[in-house]
Amino acid sequence: MRTAPRVGVVGVALHACIAEDGRRSLEERLHHAMHAALADAGLRTSDFDGIVVAANDQYDGRAISVMMASGPLGGVDRDILSTPSSAEHAFVLGALRVASGQFRTQLVCAWSPTEASSIPEAQRLAADPYFHRRLPLDELAAAALQANVLEHAAPGTAALAARVLAKNRGNGAKAFPDQVKATQPEGRATRWPLRSDTVPPPCLGVVALMLASEDFIAERNLAPVAWISGMGWATEAAFLGDRALDGAPALQAAAAQAYRAAGVTAPESAFDLAEITDVTPYQELIALEALGIAARGDWAARLGDFAAGGSLPVNLSGGVASLNPVYITGLVRIAEVAQQMRGRAGRHQKAGARRGLAHAASGPAMQYQTVIVLEAANGSAAA
Amino acid sequence: MSQRVGIIGIGMSEFRPRRDDASYPDLVREAVVIAMRDAGLDFDAIEAVVYSLSPDAMVGIGNAERLGVDAVGARGKRFLRINTGGATGISSVAAAWTHIAAGACDVVLTAGADKVGECGDSQTVLNKIWDPIYERSLPLGTINMLAMSAVRYMHKYGMTQEDMARVVVKNRLHASKNPHAHLRKQTTIEEVMASRMVSWPVKLFDCCPQSSGGAAMVLASERYIKERNLDAVWITGLAHSSESYYLGDRMGRGLTADHADAHALGVSFQKAFRMAGITDVRRQVQVAELYAPFSNTEFHAIEAAGLAELGESPAMLREGAFTLGCNAGAVVNPSGGTLCTNAIAVTAMARIAEAALQVWGRAGERQVKGARIGIANGNGGDHQFFGTMVVES
Repeated sequence: MRTAPRVGVVGVALHACIAEDGRRSLEERLHHAMHAALADAGLRTSDFDGIVVAANDQYDGRAISVMMASGPLGGVDRDILSTPSSAEHAFVLGALRVASGQFRTQLVCAWSPTEASSIPEAQRLAADPYFHRRLPLDELAAAALQANVLEHAAPGTAALAARVLAKNRGNGAKAFPDQVKATQPEGRATRWPLRSDTVPPPCLGVVALMLASEDFIAERNLAPVAWISGMGWATEAAFLGDRALDGAPALQAAAAQAYRAAGVTAPESAFDLAEITDVTPYQELIALEALGIAARGDWAARLGDFAAGGSLPVNLSGGVASLNPVYITGLVRIAEVAQQMRGRAGRHQKAGARRGLAHAASGPAMQYQTVIVLEAANGSAAA
Repeated sequence: MSQRVGIIGIGMSEFRPRRDDASYPDLVREAVVIAMRDAGLDFDAIEAVVYSLSPDAMVGIGNAERLGVDAVGARGKRFLRINTGGATGISSVAAAWTHIAAGACDVVLTAGADKVGECGDSQTVLNKIWDPIYERSLPLGTINMLAMSAVRYMHKYGMTQEDMARVVVKNRLHASKNPHAHLRKQTTIEEVMASRMVSWPVKLFDCCPQSSGGAAMVLASERYIKERNLDAVWITGLAHSSESYYLGDRMGRGLTADHADAHALGVSFQKAFRMAGITDVRRQVQVAELYAPFSNTEFHAIEAAGLAELGESPAMLREGAFTLGCNAGAVVNPSGGTLCTNAIAVTAMARIAEAALQVWGRAGERQVKGARIGIANGNGGDHQFFGTMVVES
C-alpha cells in the first residue's frame, strides 16, 4: 500500500548485536532504545502518541510479554498494541496507524530473546501438538528442509548459497567488524545441509523506530526522513507439508502489494540497494526470485550484481549471515534500509542511495513475508 | 481518516466449558464461517486478516496464530496477530479498523478463539504475566488481583458483598436470554453469597467461567458498503490507554492510579467519545458491553464509562439501573457479559459484537429497545491495557 498521508521513518535505534554484560535488564535496554530513537529523530518523550511492539511470549518466558515492555517504552497513559506474529508486523501496524490519521507518530520496538535457555525448544512449542511436536522441528530445521527442497529443485544451489554466504559475511565484516568477528562460529554438522557456520549464533538485539506523518514531519522540520512508499505483507500456510518450500508465493503477493503502491514495474532495476532476510543463504536466493529480481536460472550470472560494488547491493549490512538477533532479523532489515535512505548507515552507507528494498521473513521456512519500499527525501539522497 | 468503517458481519460460537468436538483451528473456523455468511461474502473478498489471540500458553501452542492461517482463509493474504491480553479482541478490531482507515484495504476479517476451559489451569498461566523476579513467586492470579481492587473499592465507596452479588444476578438474568452465553442459569443473591469463597470478597459466583469458543467480525470501508448496498453498523470512536505494569504502583502512598478505579479505562473512553462526538454519555448511549470478569469490576467499569459518578453505581444498581427493561440510562451487559462467558482471546471482541448486534436491532431476546449507540471495552494484562469503542446504527 502507499500510505496516505505519507508516513516516514524519522528516528532509528538499531542495536542489532549488543555485547551482553549482564549489567542491564531488558527493561533498561528497551528504555535506552526508545530514548536513542527519539534523540535520533530530534524528539522528546512527550512527542509520540502511540506504540506498537512485537513481544513474543515464548522467547521472553512471560505471558502477555507486552506488559513488561509498556512502562520502559512510555506506554503508561498511551495506546500500545503488540504483534507477536513478527517484529516486522509491528512496523506495518505502526505505519498503518499513522496513515489512518488516528495518530501522528508511532514508536515501533522489538527485541530478541535475552535469557531463553533454549531457543530451539521455545520454537518447537509452535509445532502442531498432535502431529509435529515430537519432531525436532525448530526454525533452523525448517530452514534446512527448505534448503534441501531447493537443492533438489535447482541442483547446484548449494554452491551458489556458499557464494551468497561469503558475500554477506564479507559485507558484515566491513559493516560491523567488532561484532561479526566476535560471533564467527565454528563449522560443525547441525541440520543437514546447514552447518553451524551457515547461521551465526543468536545475539541480543533491540530495534526502535520512530514513525511520523507527513504533516508532523513538516511541522517539526524533521530530517533526515526515509519515506515509506510501498508496503506489502502476506502469509503462507502453517504446515510445511502444505507448501512448496523452494518458492515463496506469499512473498510474491507481498511484493506485488508494495510495488504497486511504490510504482515499481521493473524490480530488477528499481532499487539502489536491498536488505533481504537471509536466515540461510538459500532464503536469500528464494527471496531474490520471489521479489522479481533474479529468477533461479539467472542466479549464477547475477550474483556479482548483488555484491557491495554491484548494481544492486544486497545486504550491505552483512545480513542475518553476520548478525543473528533472533525474532527481530526482519525488522533489522527494515531499519537498515531506513538508515541507508537517511544517510545514517555508518560504515556500509551507499552513497547516493535513493530507493531501497527491505524484505522481512519470519516463522518456519519464511511463513510470514513482508516487503517495504523506502525512499530518501526529495533532493536529499544519502551522501 | 478519509471514510468511515463499518461492521458487516458477526460470528460467535455458542460458548461452552469444553469443546471436545473441535480443535483450536476448528473453533476459529466455526466463528469465521458464521461471520462470512452474515456478511454475505466469500473469502475472495477478504483482503487482510487480523488474528486475535492472547497468551499462547492458554492453547498450549507457541505462536498458535500460525495454525489458524488456513482456518481464517489467510493464505497468501495480509495477516498479523494482536495480543494485549484480555483486551486482545477489541485491540484486534481496532487493528482491523486501522487497515481500512489507512486506505490499505476495503474488507478485513478479524477472528480468533480460545479454549480456556481446556488449558489445565488458566490461573497458573496468568500468574506468568507478572515479573519473574519480584511478583511471580507470590500466588498472584487475576482473581486475587481484582479481589484487591474489590477490597479497595469497598473501602472507598462502601460497596457490600451483596452489591457484588446483585451484578451476578443481573448478568445471569441477561445471559439466560443469550444463546451464546456460557453460564445461562439464573441465580439469586442468596445463592451467590452461599457460593464458595475464592479470594475474599470474591466468591465462585462472582467469577467468570473458563469458556471455549470463537468470534469473528468482518469490517469494510464506507465506500465498499455503499457501492454494494450492504447492511452495516458503524465504528465511530475507538481508543486505547494503559496503566502501569506493577500493581504496587496503584496502591499505597504515591500511587499513580487507584486500584479501586479504572483510571486508564476512563481516559480511553473519553478519547473514544471525543472521536465519536459523544458529549453526554448518560443521555446518548443506550447499551454498554463492559468487560468485567468479576462482579465488582463492573462497578468501576460503569463509572469509568461515565454512566455513573465514582462510587455511585452500586446504589444505582440497587434501584434497578443497568438492567434490561430499566426505565432510564444504558443497559449494561445485556449479553450477560464477561461474567457469564470468557474465552479470553475473543472476549473483548464479543463485547463489540454484542454492542453492534444491539444497535443493529439483531440481539434477539436480549435486545435493548431503541438501542442506537453502544459502547464496549476490553481490559488486558494486570488491569493494564484498556481498549474502548463506540458503535452506532
